[in-house]
Order: sequence, then structure tokens, then C-alpha cells
Amino acid sequence: MRPPLLLTAFVLLAAATSSAQTFVFKGERWEINDPFKLDNSIPPKPVVDSKKGIINMVKGTVDRTSNQAGFEVVLTRKLSEVTEVIWPMPARLQEAQNNINRGEPAKALDNAEAVLKFFEPLKNVPGSWWVKASLIKLDALDRLENDAATNSFLATFEKEQAAKQPEVATQIQLARLMLRARKGEHDAVIREATELLAKVDSSELQARLHLTKGNSLLAAKKYEAAMNTYLRVPVFFGSETEMIPKALLGAARAFRGMDSPALRDQKLEAVSNRYLYDIIVSFPVSKEAEEAKKLLPPEERAKAEADQKKIAAGGPLPEGVMLAKPKLAAEEKVEANR
Amino acid sequence: MLIQESRTYQLAKAALLAVLLAVTPVTGVLRAQSKPLPTAEAKEDPLNVLYKAADKAFEEKKYKEALALFQELEDKAGDVANSMKAVLSFRKATCLFFMKDWPKAQAELTAFLDRYPKGTEDFFDGDNRRGIAELLLIEAFSKQGKWDQALTRLEKIRANALARPEERVNAFTLSAQIVVDRAKSSTDDLKKAAYAQAISLLKQATAGGINTPERREAAYKLVEMYTKLGLTKEATQLKSEIDARSSGSPVEVVRSNFQRLEIGDARFAAAESAADEAFRGDFYRQALNNYQGTLRRVNLTRSFAKAIETKTAEVEGMTKAAPKPNPEQADAIRRAQFDLEQFKKIEAEFKANKDYDALISYRIGLCLLELKRPWEAHVAFLDIFENSPEFSRIAGAYYYHIIALRRIGRNNEAQAKCKEFIRKFPKDETVSSIALILGDISQEREEFPEAIDHYKWVLANVANLTPEVAEEIDFRIAACLFSQVDWAPAQKAFEVFLKKYERSSVRQQVLYMNALCSFFQGKYKETKVDFDKYQQEYPKGQFIPDVRYRQAIVKFGVNPPDIAGTIKLCEEWLKDYAKDRTDEVIAQTPEVHTLIGDAYIRMADELDKKVKAADIDLRINLKTPDRAKFAAIKDKFEQEKEAVTGKAIDAYEAAAKSARTNPQALEFVLGELRKLLPGRGEHKRMRDLFKEIFDWDHNDPKAMTYLYEVIRSTERMGNMPEFAEQAEKIRKGFSAKLADARKAVDQLERRQGVTRPEIDKAKEAVRKLSAELEAELAKTEVKRQASIDAQKKRALKILSDAVAESINDRKQEGTETLIVFLAEKLARKVKRVKAGAKPEPGAYTSVEAEKELTKLLRLEENRSSLVAQARGFFALGQLAVFTREPEKTAANFAKIAANFKAEELNPTILALVGESLLAKGDLKKAEEFFRYILEFSRSSEYADYGFAGLAEIRLGEKKYAEALSLCDEAIENNILMSKELDLRFTRARALAELSKYKEAKEEFEEIARTREWRGEKTGASLYWLGLMEERQATDKDGYARAVAYYRRCYMTWKKYEVWAAKSYFAEAKILATKLDQKDGAKRLLQEMLEKDRIKDTREGVEAKAYLLGL
Repeated sequence: MRPPLLLTAFVLLAAATSSAQTFVFKGERWEINDPFKLDNSIPPKPVVDSKKGIINMVKGTVDRTSNQAGFEVVLTRKLSEVTEVIWPMPARLQEAQNNINRGEPAKALDNAEAVLKFFEPLKNVPGSWWVKASLIKLDALDRLENDAATNSFLATFEKEQAAKQPEVATQIQLARLMLRARKGEHDAVIREATELLAKVDSSELQARLHLTKGNSLLAAKKYEAAMNTYLRVPVFFGSETEMIPKALLGAARAFRGMDSPALRDQKLEAVSNRYLYDIIVSFPVSKEAEEAKKLLPPEERAKAEADQKKIAAGGPLPEGVMLAKPKLAAEEKVEANR
Repeated sequence: MLIQESRTYQLAKAALLAVLLAVTPVTGVLRAQSKPLPTAEAKEDPLNVLYKAADKAFEEKKYKEALALFQELEDKAGDVANSMKAVLSFRKATCLFFMKDWPKAQAELTAFLDRYPKGTEDFFDGDNRRGIAELLLIEAFSKQGKWDQALTRLEKIRANALARPEERVNAFTLSAQIVVDRAKSSTDDLKKAAYAQAISLLKQATAGGINTPERREAAYKLVEMYTKLGLTKEATQLKSEIDARSSGSPVEVVRSNFQRLEIGDARFAAAESAADEAFRGDFYRQALNNYQGTLRRVNLTRSFAKAIETKTAEVEGMTKAAPKPNPEQADAIRRAQFDLEQFKKIEAEFKANKDYDALISYRIGLCLLELKRPWEAHVAFLDIFENSPEFSRIAGAYYYHIIALRRIGRNNEAQAKCKEFIRKFPKDETVSSIALILGDISQEREEFPEAIDHYKWVLANVANLTPEVAEEIDFRIAACLFSQVDWAPAQKAFEVFLKKYERSSVRQQVLYMNALCSFFQGKYKETKVDFDKYQQEYPKGQFIPDVRYRQAIVKFGVNPPDIAGTIKLCEEWLKDYAKDRTDEVIAQTPEVHTLIGDAYIRMADELDKKVKAADIDLRINLKTPDRAKFAAIKDKFEQEKEAVTGKAIDAYEAAAKSARTNPQALEFVLGELRKLLPGRGEHKRMRDLFKEIFDWDHNDPKAMTYLYEVIRSTERMGNMPEFAEQAEKIRKGFSAKLADARKAVDQLERRQGVTRPEIDKAKEAVRKLSAELEAELAKTEVKRQASIDAQKKRALKILSDAVAESINDRKQEGTETLIVFLAEKLARKVKRVKAGAKPEPGAYTSVEAEKELTKLLRLEENRSSLVAQARGFFALGQLAVFTREPEKTAANFAKIAANFKAEELNPTILALVGESLLAKGDLKKAEEFFRYILEFSRSSEYADYGFAGLAEIRLGEKKYAEALSLCDEAIENNILMSKELDLRFTRARALAELSKYKEAKEEFEEIARTREWRGEKTGASLYWLGLMEERQATDKDGYARAVAYYRRCYMTWKKYEVWAAKSYFAEAKILATKLDQKDGAKRLLQEMLEKDRIKDTREGVEAKAYLLGL
């Protein structure tokens, strides 16, 4: 645990370094009201600072009231004139990401749509959150397994300039891969995922691809290969906390598949149960923990739940358990919008 | 094992050098020459030319040449301004520094600093170079080990309030570095003190934040010091802070990365040396977190590429913007170029390090292995073999991967890996250890011939075995021969070993095992000699207890046996080791008792011979006056025999009771007691003994056998010998009276004048006596029966207790076996009656049995236990199986299906109930049960029920591919305990339905020709073979082949009417429609419909209609 003093320092530092929502035009910078910041009224309304610019989405303009020599003058600039956006991650986008992590793709989709709509006129402007919101939407659609909507969105998204960015292109390829996986084209998914793995370098994408490949191997009943693929996620991408429970769950299922009376000595059922136990203990609020509880025999489920409570109350870690760990600071920085 | 090599790339050094070089530009003109040249076109000043030449040489890193030119310039320049002299002095010093001529560099730098208080003034970019000169001088001092001088200089800079802040920060950093360097070859304590001092200095350097490159440099150093002192928490926190402020330059990225590795290594080292287990785990976890957080080659390579691309663009932009750069612009361009070169250099160094990714995987694998995560470790090491086969530490990777494979129970793979390693790296230093593991795995699995083969293979194929390993392998081969009871070859191997390795560390063991070889070959004379030799060499050796025991056996084994000597040695043994609680002695104690028992039995056998001889003597002398004498002799021998048999039984019982850790001895001695005790009517003793053994461990694989003996003995206990004795006593009592009465009748009948009534009266007395005898005997019989019933009840109670003990434990699969046992016992009590007939009043019926079963299972007490209730229904279902009431079985199993979730049941119930549901057509519930087995109990003995049942359901749903996949999976994984035939039959049908006729035919033919499977499936396979031929037929020959199979089916397998009917009907249709033989078809259908079993089948009904249409 980080000492409180240091935490305070970090908070102060964060406050000092956080920049306000700003649009950069040629030769000037305008601070803009954040439309996602709402007051406490019922229903809540956006907080408006009269000194800051207000976006008029209908006209596609930004209006700002300026006091010049005692006179209030309304200045207007077109959104198309914005050359750069300086905007901290919108709260709704953060919420969308959290929704994804919590296994609430429908809510994530709502939140991402709001951000997408706002940044639509600025989608190709440096600093815009449009691409990030699009990727979250893609992820949410994928998790909702709404193949028709995913196909439709992909068809539009692929035509965008952003789709040429290598990482975005890979995400699109990944989404297409997921569609194929759901169609049951497992052999093709395994082949393509293997090819993609050699191309991508982000650890998040690597982990996701391993998951996709593992899922297809599992569906194709190639349990040993599935186990090896799933376990690469906790072994090599341990900081991708979102993926770990999924990988552990997949590995547990793969071990179940590998089990047979001839391999009884390897105690694969116990190994599988151990992974399920780890999910419950280490990722208690995840969707996978709920799934793991269903897969565990009743007696072991009760034990896992009891141990989880003990650990949550500060008890010692059982042998072999590796708690979820946060991402490293350097990797956490989201500067992709710059 | 910790990785010894350093992994820092010495980036700290590189970075410092980069700073120094970057701030030491060489470009410029000698602007401070006394007078500028009148025109640019005019002849250039020779001094200026000389300076440019020196400058060029310096730029080309020809420092020696540059030094000579600067010296020449200094000589020729004569009386120039002080600043110019300072420039030349600084240049010379820099050349000497780069030439690594430390003493001269020191002298020149000292001269520069002493003579020119204003340094180079404004010749360069406003920096008078005094600060740099100071740092270079300090570096020169350090290189010569002049630590104190260096530190004194640095202290001055640190204390100088007028010095530039960056210089002061650098001074702190360098001071820390020097403090550490100074302690490099000191003791650990001094080193630690130096690290602490360095931390203090570096904290001052970073006190104002870490927002400049110099401060970040100090912060990096501070992280390093924290790590060295094991202050991981501090190191990690500071590192996170640095990372958060990282400029993203490749130097920082790489350095950050390697620092993370260092922290990981430090944690790993701490874990290795941690005495406390709890801390050790934490340390390994921390190490793992750091290793996992490191970037992979591909990420770093991309960072390098981006940085180089950006820097290249920057250089190009600057060059384009200033085609004729002024000195300051040229300086900036040169700095950018230098940075670019540095980046490329680091990239090249990184590229040259091919081990990077593999090393991370290796470390991760080690941590995981230590954290008892062998499966993950296996995956980590696999990554090395797949992606970095040229890894420099590949031998280590093999070694640890083999360990991981062993830990996860994959011994075959581990052995394959051992062989692969030996083949690929025959000269590696670890080859001996790996070679040993190869055989050790087989030896551990008691596959001795295989182990011997592996060891011999190693001896033949591994060139550089160490002498120690070669010796160990020789020993292991002999030990394997010994373990597989090849006594003669083992003895030969031991003898060779003793000659070859006279001073071997295992000599004691070899001597002992060698003697045992003689012993087990029955060579008692040689055994004695060998054991004597052992006792002589090792009078207090570890095998002495066993040797003494074997010596006793030798006495027993010689001809004639020395029984008294044997017993004496054994009793001495028991006395001497009574208090010895070592595992070996505890395990040997029952063997010693058994030997005593054997010795007494031998004595009893000898006495038995004497008894028999005495009996013959007695019979010969039956009518002689010596009869009493011979009778007394016989009695004496009989008593003696009885006494020694009793002693033998006592000894065997003692052996059994002490054999908890010696299953072999236990098995032998229980076998002897099973022969002796029941014959002597000692059922209670037998029951008590087996109960004691059963209670040792109810989960023991043999517990059921012991329980069975307990039940049987208890039941036998009811028929106590007392009853027979009592009956005999009664008979004897009446015998004399009856004899007298009969004699009286006889006498009366012979006597003259005795009237008929008198005779009748006497006869009546005899009858009365007989009736009294019968009545007395009947009373005893009633008591005997009551006693038997009581004991049977007791036996059932014992069984009931055993079931009740585990009835709530879902995981105890043995409980179902007990339930079946109990149900079978109760079913035997049921008096069967013909269908429809009423049982006799008071007879024990199946209803009674059900009630008793419910009571015995204590289901009322376990109302709250789901699994107990389910087992109750299962028990009733099984009882109905034994009482042949299938409808009751189905009804009870249906209750299980209706009231319980799959997860509340165990595999046995799931499988048997699932099968019953499938047969009854409740496919949904059956599928739930089978799926649960596949999901949760694949290693259960009933896993094949899951595959077979689910495949059958899929086949019924016409999902042939899925059915085939399930069958294939079960067959490939050998999950075929009792459902192989079903699985193969379903597989064949699925293949047939998928039109894979060739494979299907092979499978059906295999079923049809397998003798063990002869039955319904044989007939069904013939029908299917016919059906496939029919489906493929395109001409008469094809149909004829189909007909041939159909005929074989209905002619050979009539009793399976379903398949016979199908075959009849199918053939008839072919005859009528494809082969133009309507008459033949008619005859065949008539024949079919004459068969009672066939005519009412579905095909029979259809055939009737078809026949009418022909």
C-alpha cells in the first residue's frame, strides 16, 4: 500500500497537471465547457461557465462570449476550424471502459455512443476521443455478440481515416476474428490469430488475441493447445488484469477437457478447480468469478468464497495465489488521443 | 537459482557519457584571435586552418592526432587572449580524457581549472566549461582509484551555491557513484554502508523533484541503490514516479525496463535467501510482477525505431533549415546527430542481445516454479523452446522445464525432453544430471526394465558423464535389477560395483543388498557369510535391524530349521527395538511377528505328525492294557499342538495389528488368520481384528474387503460353538437314558410272560424321552437362531454405520459401492414369489426390505442432506434391481432426476441414473447429467457414460458430427471403461449417417468380429453393414452384398428381434424392388411373420401391410 503522503502528492500532482478542455484554432486556444459535466439539478444539466466556449452541435460551431472594452461580444468559430483538441478523458468514456471491465456491455455502448456523437465532427482532429470511443463501442458490440450491429459498424468504421492506424486496424481485424469465431470458423480463427500474434506488439492486444485463439482451440476440443494458449496470458501479460480472469476461466475449462481416467495421476480436475478458485479469490467481482462459482463443485465453491472473504478482510494469501495487480504506470498512460 | 550475469547494459555509464559528450562541442572558430581577417576571400589565417584541422581530427575521434594539432596550435599561438589559451587547454584535456590517459588528463584538467578561473569564457555557448572540466577531472580521479580526491572535488561543487543547479545534481550523482565504486571490493557490510551513503547523496540530488534529465539520472541511480539494499517498496515507488515522468526516450525506456528486471532479480535473490517461507512467497511474487511488467523485444524495438525516426527527421530538418549553419546552429546539429548515433548504438546493442525475450521467460518460469505454479512454468519454458531455441541458457531452460513436467505428472514428456537435450547438447555440463533424471523417472514409476534401458542408453550415449554420475548410474542399474527381483543379475551387478568402486559412498547399501540377493535366492549359507561381512564392516549400520531379522530367517530356512533359534532371535529383536520408532523398524515389526508365527506353525505341523503317529499307536493298542498310556501320549501332543497354534495365532495377530505401514505383511498375515481363526470358531476375534484394521482408514482401497470380513465374521458369530456344545451335552444326557429305556424295552420283549401293556409302557417311556430330547434340542436351536439373527442385525448395523458415515459426503464414491452391498444383502432376505402371487403372511417382502434399507441408511436423520436423500433413492433403485422390480428402479431413479440438480450428485449416480433416463426417453434430464459428468468428472470411472450417453442423444437428434466428435474424443483419450462397445457403435452409426462409409464399415466390422462383444451389437452391426451397402448400391451386385449382410443378421441373431426384423424387411424390399424377386420377397415376409418375437415389432407390422401390396 502506498503511503498516504505520497498519495496526496499524486493527487496534487494530478490536479496541477490536468489541463482544461481546450480547442486549438489557428493562432488561438479556447477553453470549452465540458458537456459531460453535469450539475446536481433534477434532471441534471450541463455545467456552463460563461467564460468558456459552448459547442453548438446543430450549427457545427463554438460560441464564446468575450468582454472587449466593457462590451460583451460573442465570438463564433466553426468546429471544422479546430486544429487540435486538448481534452482529458471524458468521464462517460471512462465509465464506458469501466462498464466493459465490469461486464456491462450494454451500458458501455450507451456511454460510448454519447462520446462518439460529441466528437463526431472532430473525429480526425488530433486529440479527439472519437477513435477510442469507437474502439470501446466495437468492444461492447463484440461482447453483446450482436453480430449484425458489429458488421454494420465495422463496415462504416473501416472507411474512416482512423482505421488506417495500425493499432485500430488490428482491433478491427480482431473484431472480425471474433465474428468468425462466433460463426464457428474455429480453424480459420486459430490460423489468423496466430498470424496476428506475430504482428501486434501491444500487450493488451496480445492478451486478447491469445484469448480469442484459446477460445477457438477450446471449441475445437484442442484442449492441450487451448490450455497453453490461455495460460500465456497470466504468465506473460500479468498486468492485463482485465484479461486474466477470462484466461484463467478458459484454462480451467481446457484442463477439464484434458482430463480422462488415463490422466488421473495429473489430477487435472483439481488443477482446473484450483484455477476457478483463483478467479473467485483474486477477481471476486468479475463476471468470470460468477461463472467460476457455477463450475466449481459446491464444497469447493463454499471454501473459495470463504477464503475470498478472509483475504478481503486482510487475511494471508493461500499458497500459490497471485492477486490481481494494477497495470504499471508507464503503460497506463493514455496519450493515444494526442 | 539466480541468474548471475548483469543485465544493465551499463546504461548509467552510457547516459553519463552522453551528457558529457553532448555538452562538449568541438565546432567553432577561433573567434578570439587578436584580429579578424580583413576579408573572407583573403588567405585564411594559418592558425585558423590549424584549429580547423585539429577540430576535424577530434570530430573523427582521432584524438591523438587532434592532441598533437592542438599542442602545435598552442605552441604557435604565442601571446593570445587567456580565453583562447583556456580553449586549447580544455581541448587538450578532452583529447587526453578520450584517449583514457588518465594521469595526463588529470594534469591537464587540473592546470585548466587552476590557470583559468573564468574558463573558456564565452567562446562556446556561454558555458565556460569549468563545470565540465571538474566532472571530467573527477572521472579521471575515479579511473585511477583516487576516490578521496574525486570526492573532495565533488564536495566543493555540491557546496558551491553559485554552481549551476544541474552541475550540483551531477555532482551528487557522481559522488554516490564513487562512494559505491570505492566499496566495490570491500566486505558486504562496508558495501551496504556505501549504498546507504549513496542513497543519502542521491536523495539530496532528487530533493527538488525529478523533472530534469540530470535529476532523473540521479533518481535512476537511487532506484538502483534501493534495490541493492533490498528496499523494494521504495525502489518500486520511485520507479513508478520516474516512469510517470518519462520522456519516452529509448534510453529511458530501456533503462526503466532493465531496472525493472534488476528489481525483479533483487527480489528473486531475496526469496532464494529468505529463511521464512511466508516472506519467500511474497518475494517471488514481487519478482514475478517485475518480470511480467518488462517490455518485450518487439515493444522496445518499436520504441527505438520511433525515436530514431523522429531524431533523423529532426537532424534533417535542422540541416535543411540551416544549409550554412552558424557556430551555434552547427553545435545544435552536432548534438542532435550525436543523440541519433547514441540511439542507434543502443539499438544495435539491444539487437545483438538475442536472449532478451528468452531471459524474461526464463525468469518468469523460475518464479512460477518456485510459486508452485508448474503449469504456468511449463508454458513459460515452452515459450523459450518455441521462440528462442538459440537461447544461451537453453540448458537451464531444459532442466527447469523437465522439473515442471515432472511436477505436473507428465513423466513421458519429461523423459522425451531429457533425451532431446542429451541428443542436442551432448557436451553440456548439465547433461549428467539430465541423464540421471531420465532413468529416475522410470525408476520412480517402478518401470524397472525401462529405467535400466534408459541408464544403459545414457552410459552408451553420453560422452562426458562425470565419474560420480557414472557411479550412480551403475548403482541404479543394480538397484533396478534388485527391485525387479532378478536376484542373480542384481547380485552380479553389485559384486562388479563393489570391485569397481571400493570406496563408494553407497558401499554399505550395496553390501546389504548383495546379501539380500543371496537371501532371496535361498542361498542361506552365502547369506550368512554376506550378512556377517556387513555386520563386521558396519556394526552400527543402518540396516542392522533388517540384517538381524534376516539372520533369524536364515535359521528358519536351513534344513532342518532351527525353530527355537529363530524364535529366540526374533524375541531378542522385538525386545531390542521395542522403543525404536523409526519408520524402518515400525515397518519391520510385523514381519518379525509373522516369522514367530511361522515358526510356531512349523512346530504345530511337526506336532501334528506326532499326533497322527500317536493316533495310529492308540488304534493299534486300543484293546491292549497300554491303551491309556497311548491315549495320554496323543492327548499330550494334541495339547502341545494346540498351545503352539495358539502362540502362532497370537503372533500373527500381533503382526496384523502392527502392520499399518506394511501392507504386504498385513496382506500375508491376514491371509493366514483367515485360514486359522474361522476354523477354530474364533469369529469374534476375527471380527474385532478386521474392525480394528477397517477403522485405520475407511478410504483405504482395501477398506471394503476388511468391512466384508467384519460383516461375515459378525454373521458367523451368531452360530456360537456353545450352541453345538449345549446340543451335544443334551444329546449325551439323553443318550444314556434312552439307551437304558431301549434296553428295558428289549429285555421286556425277550422276557417270557411279559404282557403287551407292559411292553407298550416301556416303549412309551422311550418315545417320551425322545420327545423330551427333541424339545430340548429345539430350545437350543431357537436360541441359536436368535443369536444368528441378532448378529446379522449387528452386521447390518456395522454396514449401515459405514454407509451413514459418508452418506453426506458427495465426493465419497465408495459410498455407492457400500450401498449396493447393503441393498444386495437385504435383497437376499426377500422371499421371492411368482408374479401375481401373494407372499405368505409374515414373509419378508421387498416392501419390508425398502423400509429396512431406509432405516439403515438413516435417511430420517439426514433429511437436510441433499446427497443423502439422493443416495436413498439410488439405494432403493438398486434394491429393486436385485429384487427384479425394474419399474421400481425406474421410479426411484426418476425421483432423483426430478428432485436433484446434477451438481448435488456424484458421478456414479449421474451415470447410472442418466442411463436409465436415456432408456426411458427423458433426454433433457439425461443430457444434463451426462454433460455434468463431461464437465466435472472426466477422470471418474463413469466418465464413459457421459460420452456414450451424450453421443447417443446427439445421434438421435441427427447431429451426427457432434455425436462423432464425442465418440472420437472418448476413444482418443481412452475413456472407455465399460462403454467402449456403445461408443464404437455410436461412432460407426454417426460415420454411416455422414456417408463416411469406409470408416464406418471398418468400425462395424470390428464390432462384428470381436468375440467379447458378441451379442445385440453384433447383430446390429450386421444390419448396419447391410444398410450401408444398400445405400451405396448402384447395381444388382451392390444389392446382393446388402442382402448377404441382412441374411447373416436375421439368421444368426434372431433373438435380437428388432435387428432381425429390420433385416428381414429390408431384404424383402430389395428383393421386391431392386432384384425383381417378388415371390422371393413374399416368401421371406411370410417366414418373417411366422416368428413370434418378430411379427409384433414395428417392422413386422409394416411388413404385413407391405406383403398385402406385393
